[in-house]
Amino acid sequence: MSVETFTDSAPKPASLPSDRLGDLLHERKILVVVGTGGVGKTTVAAALAVEAARRGQRVVALTIDPARRLCDALGIDPPSSDARGAVQSLSEAARTTLEIQGSGRLDTIMLDMKSTFDGLVQRFADDEKTRARILDNPIYQHVSDALAGSAEYAAMEKVHELSEGGQYDLIVVDTPPSQHALDFLEAPQRLVEFLDSRLVQLLVHPAMAAGRFGFKLFHRTSQRVLQIVERVSGVGFLEDISEFLLALEGMSEGFKDRATHVRRLLLGPTSAFLVVAGPSPQTARSAFEFLARMRGTGVPVEGVLMNRMRLWPDGESVPDGLSQGPVETADLDALAAALSAADAANPGDTELGDPRAAARSAVELAKRYASLVQQDERSASALRDQTERDRKLFARIPELPRDIHDLDGLVRIGDVLFRNLRLPSSQAGASDAGS
Amino acid sequence: MAPELTPILDRRLVIVTGKGGTGKTTVAAALAVAAARQGRSVLIAEVGGQEQVPQFISPGHPPVGYAGSELIPGLTSIHIDPHEALAEYLGLQLRVRGLVDLVMRNKGFAQLLNAAPGWRELITLGKVWHLAQMQDAGRPRYELIVVDAPATGHGLTFLDVPRVVGNAVRAGPLRGHAHLVEELILDPEQTLLLPVALAEELPARETAELVQRAQSDIGIAIDRVVVNAVAPPPFPPGVPDDLDTRLHAIDDAVALGGLPRPSVLATCASYLRARHQLNAGYVEQIRRDCDRPLVILPYCPGGITGAGPLADFAEPILAAGGLPA
Repeated sequence: MSVETFTDSAPKPASLPSDRLGDLLHERKILVVVGTGGVGKTTVAAALAVEAARRGQRVVALTIDPARRLCDALGIDPPSSDARGAVQSLSEAARTTLEIQGSGRLDTIMLDMKSTFDGLVQRFADDEKTRARILDNPIYQHVSDALAGSAEYAAMEKVHELSEGGQYDLIVVDTPPSQHALDFLEAPQRLVEFLDSRLVQLLVHPAMAAGRFGFKLFHRTSQRVLQIVERVSGVGFLEDISEFLLALEGMSEGFKDRATHVRRLLLGPTSAFLVVAGPSPQTARSAFEFLARMRGTGVPVEGVLMNRMRLWPDGESVPDGLSQGPVETADLDALAAALSAADAANPGDTELGDPRAAARSAVELAKRYASLVQQDERSASALRDQTERDRKLFARIPELPRDIHDLDGLVRIGDVLFRNLRLPSSQAGASDAGS
Repeated sequence: MAPELTPILDRRLVIVTGKGGTGKTTVAAALAVAAARQGRSVLIAEVGGQEQVPQFISPGHPPVGYAGSELIPGLTSIHIDPHEALAEYLGLQLRVRGLVDLVMRNKGFAQLLNAAPGWRELITLGKVWHLAQMQDAGRPRYELIVVDAPATGHGLTFLDVPRVVGNAVRAGPLRGHAHLVEELILDPEQTLLLPVALAEELPARETAELVQRAQSDIGIAIDRVVVNAVAPPPFPPGVPDDLDTRLHAIDDAVALGGLPRPSVLATCASYLRARHQLNAGYVEQIRRDCDRPLVILPYCPGGITGAGPLADFAEPILAAGGLPA
């Protein structure tokens, strides 16, 4: 396996471990894209899914909250619609634009917490009465859609369903937004532990025997704990929980099987985790910490994709002359003269004004941009070194001129990641601003 | 109709919310520092995740943890860990240390907590409520509490939990406490939600949704919206705003001595112009969608640390009505 190394200090945007990343799209069944909020995780996940579909794979992308323009571009319904939870295929126009041919296919599912849980109940409840009792339970009604953590459960559930279905070669999971990339991984385990816990068993079984808490069981400490909790929480609360759990009991084997199965899937050889980071010091640090925590856990973290990096236009590093010391007067004069000459050849609609003021402004902007490039490079360097030590892949995605929510932007991310293509510098800023 | 602007420093509780990467923590820290410098006794409470606030305000400060610590005169910082808050709450309710330990050290209870959703949010807000009640010699210990809330998505869920629990629990102390917390959050005289947005597509849309849902689903007051990291106009007055096009028109072979090639200068200029235009467009969209006065904060490469710079940064937030865009 080839490992990309960065032996020189110059940024090398064109030199990326593209084969290794490309191999993941073919060799793995599940690609989990993790990262803290605001780093462009959804966009990167979409770009990976598009790339796999363009390579002829049957791909499904699970996402939680895609940008409206991304939905529009892909020809799917926006998150606010009734389409939540349903499989949506690409529009014919999007297929054509993306040059997805033959067996290649890209479907999208936006996660829906409430219907995922309702679906579970429908599937696993023993009979109609149990089903109704769960669905009407106040705890269930609130737990299933209103509270934190349900997005992770819903994603896990969907991954299970899709991997069982066998209709897809690759499942790309855009994990729910969270401060901790780990939340997604821990959700299945929490569910299993929860259902296994003695306290839950205790809550369920006395209720079965006595209609309410009998506290006749052998786990004295746990009984005591429940009594104490009840003192604080009030009687009704634990009864409702107990009834809810009792109803779930019949389903819990199914639940447990799934949670265990999904965890095994996610930690197995057919899965890969990719960390998306942003160039801000905080997001880079958080990605760094994620890598550290994952070391030795068996989680197949394959690498880091550093999104929205500002790179120096000609692919080299920022010239020393720009970042250090004042600019030579002669150089400014030369630039002013060149601006004047270009203005004489093609006056345009605006007034050039003082060519030296314009030249100074141009140099000022170059310096400002140079400091952004250097700042991003500093944020990235610790992560890059760490991935190198861990023998993981590291790739940079340049910040594209505007929000990448159109198909062209997704393809261009693919070009950068998989075909070592650099953005031509003439395009790097020439677009109009967004609406 | 946007509600009238009450001076932000006259509130008891300001909950700063926003998607990750918006600079929410910087805004919360800046607001807290500015308030403390104006003589208020201020508490800044960080919720979940890693502790960051002390490093923003007093770089090099040791972690403040759940006990909290005064960072600068009049400003205390705490990091609310839900487990510690739960232990404290149980202690207040049960009044017997041994019982609390029995519960908190029980493995089954730990597993229950691991799986159970919602309690972290509730107990955290409960702790904030408790801090708001604290008094020294008949006066509130903290005149202003600034909460650095979890990233949006979880942000509104965070505020909705007291209502949900209050409804799900039929009777008992927990129900009463959940309602107390809800009352504080929904009191427009005392509590303000301060959303922090970026002038980009996704954050702009999410902020609009947040403002709308905060009003319809929760009923918490929002009187201004912060738009952070807005790129400044690239060209000074007198310089044509098509400078990047003009630079592109120069033959790339023209020698400029130690300066980068003309095409490189052109790309730098067009990047910064495009960035500014992009931001300006979304600022207008946020203004339209949120129907609230906006506070526009400039993009500060490298971030802002230290009490002085933070206080300066907060100036526009304190000014009622915000700044012109």
